Amino acid sequence: MATVSDSELGSAQPRARRRITSIEVLCAILVVALLGQSWLRSVFDVPALSTASTVFVAVCVQALPFLVLGVLVSGAIAAFVPARALERLLPRRQAAAVGVAGLSGVALPGCECASVPVARRLMGQGVAPAAALTFLLAAPAVNPVVLVATAVAFPGEPGMVLARLAGSLATSMVMGWLWIRWGKLEWIAERARRRLPETSGRDRWSTFAETARADLVDAGGFLVLGALVSAALGVLVPGEWFGVLSDQIVLGILVMAVLAVVLSLCSEADAFVAASLSALPLLPRLVFLVVGPAIDAKLFALQAGTFGRAFAFRFAPVTFVVAIGCGVLAGLVFLGGVR
Amino acid sequence: MRRETQNILLILLGGALLKIALNGDYLRYVKPSQQPWVIAGGAAMVLLGGIAVVRDVLAARRAEPAGVPGDDCHDHPARSAWLLMVPVLAVFLVAPPALGADSVARNEARAPEVTRGASFPPLPPGEVVPLAVSQFVTRAGWDAAGTLNGRTVSMTGFVVRDGRDVLLARMVISCCAADAFPVTVRLTGEPRAAELPVDTWIEVTGQYVPGPQQRRPGHAPELAVTTLRETPAPPDPYEY
Repeated sequence: MATVSDSELGSAQPRARRRITSIEVLCAILVVALLGQSWLRSVFDVPALSTASTVFVAVCVQALPFLVLGVLVSGAIAAFVPARALERLLPRRQAAAVGVAGLSGVALPGCECASVPVARRLMGQGVAPAAALTFLLAAPAVNPVVLVATAVAFPGEPGMVLARLAGSLATSMVMGWLWIRWGKLEWIAERARRRLPETSGRDRWSTFAETARADLVDAGGFLVLGALVSAALGVLVPGEWFGVLSDQIVLGILVMAVLAVVLSLCSEADAFVAASLSALPLLPRLVFLVVGPAIDAKLFALQAGTFGRAFAFRFAPVTFVVAIGCGVLAGLVFLGGVR
Repeated sequence: MRRETQNILLILLGGALLKIALNGDYLRYVKPSQQPWVIAGGAAMVLLGGIAVVRDVLAARRAEPAGVPGDDCHDHPARSAWLLMVPVLAVFLVAPPALGADSVARNEARAPEVTRGASFPPLPPGEVVPLAVSQFVTRAGWDAAGTLNGRTVSMTGFVVRDGRDVLLARMVISCCAADAFPVTVRLTGEPRAAELPVDTWIEVTGQYVPGPQQRRPGHAPELAVTTLRETPAPPDPYEY
C-alpha cells in the first residue's frame, strides 16, 4: 500500500504543479452535503435506513469517548514511559514476559481500537513482539472498565466476570507463546517496528499530544467503519436468529463467535449486547465476549493497517480459533457448563 | 490526508459530540449517565485537534522545516481518516431520530430479562398512577400479588401496529441504542387509537386486563383505555 501522504509530496516539490489537496476535497464534500441536506434527510427517512443511522450514531457516540481515553493512555506511554523502564520491567525470558504482559493488561484501561497503537508503540520501545501482542489481546478484554461493565450487565452472575477474565487472559497468553514458537519478525511491517526518538522535558508534552492525535485519527476511522458495519448488520440480521439458536449449543457458539467478529462492538459495550440476548444460554454469550475484544472486523482492518497484511492474515484467524477454544474452556470451568 | 484536514475533522467530530451532549440530543443515542463521557470525549478531541493546529501555525511562522517532534503521521496511509466525515455529516445534517416503530418490529425476539419470582411493592396511592411501560409489562407478567388489578395507570409511549391491533411501545436501552429492545402494551376499548399514525407519541390512562400467556417473551399485556391524548415526544425517549 502506498504510504506517501500528500503533505510529504507538497513539501518535497514546492514548485510542482498544484494538486488538489485533501482540504479542498473536504470543503467540497461539506458544501455539497450542506446544499443537499434536504435531499439527504429525505433519503434517510426510509424506516430501515433511519433505524440503521440511529444505531450508527449511537455506537459512535458511545464508543468515541472510550477511544479518546485509550489514545490518551497510549500517548502517555509514548511520552512518559522510557524504553529502558519497560525493558527493566519485563523479564528477559520471552515466555515469562508474555505472562507479565498479559497480566499488565489488567492495569491499563483501553478499548481494543486503541490497544493496537499501544502494542505497536510497545514494540517500538523495544518490547519483545510476543509480549506486545499478548498485551494487544489482553488489554481490551481484561481491564477494570470492561470487567465492571460485564458485572453491571450480568447482575447475579459473578461467574461471568471471572470466566471472561480467564478466557481472555488465556487467549492472549496462548497467542504470545504461539508467537514465540512459530512467529516470524519479518511478517510485521518494518514501519511498525521503528523506534521512536527518545524525548525529554517540554518535548514530552508535544510527543504526548501528537501521538494521541495521530492515534485518534487512525483508530477513529476504523471505529467508524466498525460502527457502519454493525449498524448495517443490525438491520440485515433478522432478530429471529437469536431465538432459534438457543437449542443448538455448538451452532450457537459458532454463530456468536462470527457475530462478535462482524458486529465489532467496543469491548466496553459488548457485555450489554450479550446481556440483552437473553434467549441464549450463557456459554455462547461468553464466547461472544472473549472473541470480540481479541479479533473483530475493525480490529483486523486496524492490524492490517498498522502491522501489515502479511501479519494480519496469519494472526487474525489463529486468534479467532484460540479465542473460541479458551472461551469454551473458561465457560466450562467457571460457569459449570452451558447454562 | 493532510495534517490540516485531519485536525479539522477532529475538531468537527469533537464539536458534533459536544453539540449533541449539550443540547440534549444525545438522549436519542445513549443513556443519560453517559453525558459527562460524551462531553469529556468531545472536548478532548477538539483540544487535540486545536493544539495541533496552533502548533503547526506557530511552527510555520517560525519557518521551521516541516515535521514537529514526534510527528510520525507520515508512516500511515491515513485514508481511513476520511471515515471520520461520516458521523460528522450524520450528526450535523441527518440528525437521526430516536428508535421507533421500525425498531420495535426488528427486535421483538430480544425479550427483556426478567427476574423470576421477584416481589413487587404495591403501586403508590392515587387515582391515576404514572407508570413506565417496562414496569407495567414486568408486573403484568411476573407479579403474583396482582398489584396492577383494579388500578388506573397512565403511560407514555409511541403507537405501533400489529395487524389490526394498536400497541403502545417504548424502547428500553441498557447502554446505547444499539442494544435496544421494545416493550409493548396492547390498547383496547378506544376506537380513536386505530386512526393514529405509527410513531405518534401518546399518553394513555386505563386499567390492566388480566389474560393468559403474559409471560411469553415479547407478549404485550392488555390495557383497557379510558383516556388517550397525543403528546409531544419526551426529551428522553427511552426507558432504562
